[in-house]
Amino acid sequence: MQTFLQLLFSGLALGSIYALVALGFVVIYRSSQVFNFAHGEFVMLGAFLMISLVRGGVWWIVALLITMVVTGAVGMGVERSVLRPMIGRPVFVTVIVTIFVGALMRVAINLIWGGTERGMPTPWDNTGVMEILGARVLFNSVAAIVATAVVLIGFYLLFQRSRIGVGMRATASDQEVALGLGIPVGRVFGFSWFLAGSLAALAGVFLGMFPRIVDGNIWLIALVAFPAVLIGGLESPLGAVIGGFALGVVQLLAQGYVNPLLGTFGNNFHQVFPYVVMIGFLMFKPYGLFGTHEVERV
Amino acid sequence: MPTKPLSVRYEDDLRLFASRWRQAGTALLVLAVLVYPLRASSLWLTLGTEILVFVVGAVGLMILTGFTGQISLGHAAFIGIGGYTAAILGGEFGIPFWLVIPAAGLLSAAVGLAVGPFALRLRGLYLAIVTLGLVFLVAHVLRSFPEWTGGLSGISVPMLWWFDGPVVSAAQTEILGTPLSAAIQKFYIFLVLAVIAVLFATNLRRSHTGRAMAAVRDRDVAAAVMGVDVARTKYVAFGVSSFLAGVAGAMFGWEAQFLTIDATVNLIISIEFIAIIVIGGIGTVVGAVLGAVAFVVLGQLADALLGELPLLSELSSAQRRTSFQAILVAIFLIVEPFGLYGIWLRIKFYFMAWPFRY
Repeated sequence: MQTFLQLLFSGLALGSIYALVALGFVVIYRSSQVFNFAHGEFVMLGAFLMISLVRGGVWWIVALLITMVVTGAVGMGVERSVLRPMIGRPVFVTVIVTIFVGALMRVAINLIWGGTERGMPTPWDNTGVMEILGARVLFNSVAAIVATAVVLIGFYLLFQRSRIGVGMRATASDQEVALGLGIPVGRVFGFSWFLAGSLAALAGVFLGMFPRIVDGNIWLIALVAFPAVLIGGLESPLGAVIGGFALGVVQLLAQGYVNPLLGTFGNNFHQVFPYVVMIGFLMFKPYGLFGTHEVERV
Repeated sequence: MPTKPLSVRYEDDLRLFASRWRQAGTALLVLAVLVYPLRASSLWLTLGTEILVFVVGAVGLMILTGFTGQISLGHAAFIGIGGYTAAILGGEFGIPFWLVIPAAGLLSAAVGLAVGPFALRLRGLYLAIVTLGLVFLVAHVLRSFPEWTGGLSGISVPMLWWFDGPVVSAAQTEILGTPLSAAIQKFYIFLVLAVIAVLFATNLRRSHTGRAMAAVRDRDVAAAVMGVDVARTKYVAFGVSSFLAGVAGAMFGWEAQFLTIDATVNLIISIEFIAIIVIGGIGTVVGAVLGAVAFVVLGQLADALLGELPLLSELSSAQRRTSFQAILVAIFLIVEPFGLYGIWLRIKFYFMAWPFRY
């Protein structure tokens, strides 16, 4: 039982990071119909930027805000310069473009920071542990879960109550009609990318914390988060959050309980297990939990 | 200016090389390619062999993505299956290369057909991500059996002429005064494979199945309404594509002579093949060939030239290559969506209409 709780809490902490990443995908996809393969690089940028700022002596929480804003701004820049000219082209084309934008960003980040490993500084005790229901949980995990919860509530309010949130929902539902009603669709695109970028940065900061580290491979998180997006459904923010948490928990439970069953085949099996789950799941629900069913017309 | 002769019989339409000029051009090209390995330096011989490997793989992806419109990020999985089949059959069992080729292709095609059911249910991004999952799964399986695949340390890929026989090696024969070295033999073997792949794809495109593929690509519901068997077409596309990818994987292994899982079965390789067909021109066989040539040659040039620039020389050669590819593909997608083939068509039409603009 204690092992189970332990795995559950670590899973939720990891899941909250997946949820942030997955939400970023969905926000961009909903507003601009772009599936952003460069998302992992935003996570990477956020993590490296944060470390440099904190080491440069900026107060932690201020550094976090600066990181989120800068990464968001980079996202906006990418949208404006590369993806705006691509509007109206097939999804496939934008996928390829974002893959290569990601490759370029990765090279740039390597050039600036180098690929060496580094730890993410935290204002609290980095390896501190607290006991919840008998399970030992890292402060870092608790912080990740709490921060994600706060951000998600903020997001909900933004989507439901704010002017730009309503604009985003309108754009998601029909771009041309939204444009006709006077919603600045271009600005909505930019804002969505800004949001997604800052979410990715936040995810990067928590992803880099102990027991994990920040290195040149941190962008791979985006590839691992794909199953969360697809299981939740491409168009659904709620689905992304549920998918993200589920993915984190399933992955860690698989590490604890499935890997040992499989012998040598089980080494690191938890890393591909989300994909196995996703493939099986999509066979029965091809549009995920809450994805929009495409209406087929000839 | 030569024009295409008026087709008055069905046979005229069926001919691969419609005009005399085409035939002459093809003959010249064949001659040039045949002489190429005898005159090329060893660096350019290697590049030429690489091009042939990429041609076979790109033709495979072209059939799936270009003809049938199924986006696949899983090409690297099939490349890996082919490569490791060649490594294990050649290294462990001493099977000669001409038996390895069909084996690698068939094994890879079997896995490709297993993706078929997903392709029937999913489309677009969902399918792309599932095929990406295939890459991770294949990499995981390969890593799980280190006694066969060498695990993380990699495995060497021998290319044998005969059972337990000699590795393809320096023979005594000379052609045009050049001894027929192992590299040159490899080039000719790969050339035959590439030509077969290209001819096969060209003819496939003109066949009933090829037209069904195009219909599925343009709108699968409409195709189904018109009586095209969508399921069968998608299965054929996945099967043929992964067969060719498996063969390309075996060639890739023989060319590299050594495979590691991380360098073979990863997203980057899949993306490189997508880059090739985008640069070449999606939906045409010529595009796959042009793309492969441009990809290898330009990649080499970029590596050499960009290394001279101050900031970029700090990058590793792989990074330089990646960034060059990235910029090139972005430019093509924004400016010339039909790729090199599109540029070629524009040049051709310009001269056909010359001196008039239209």
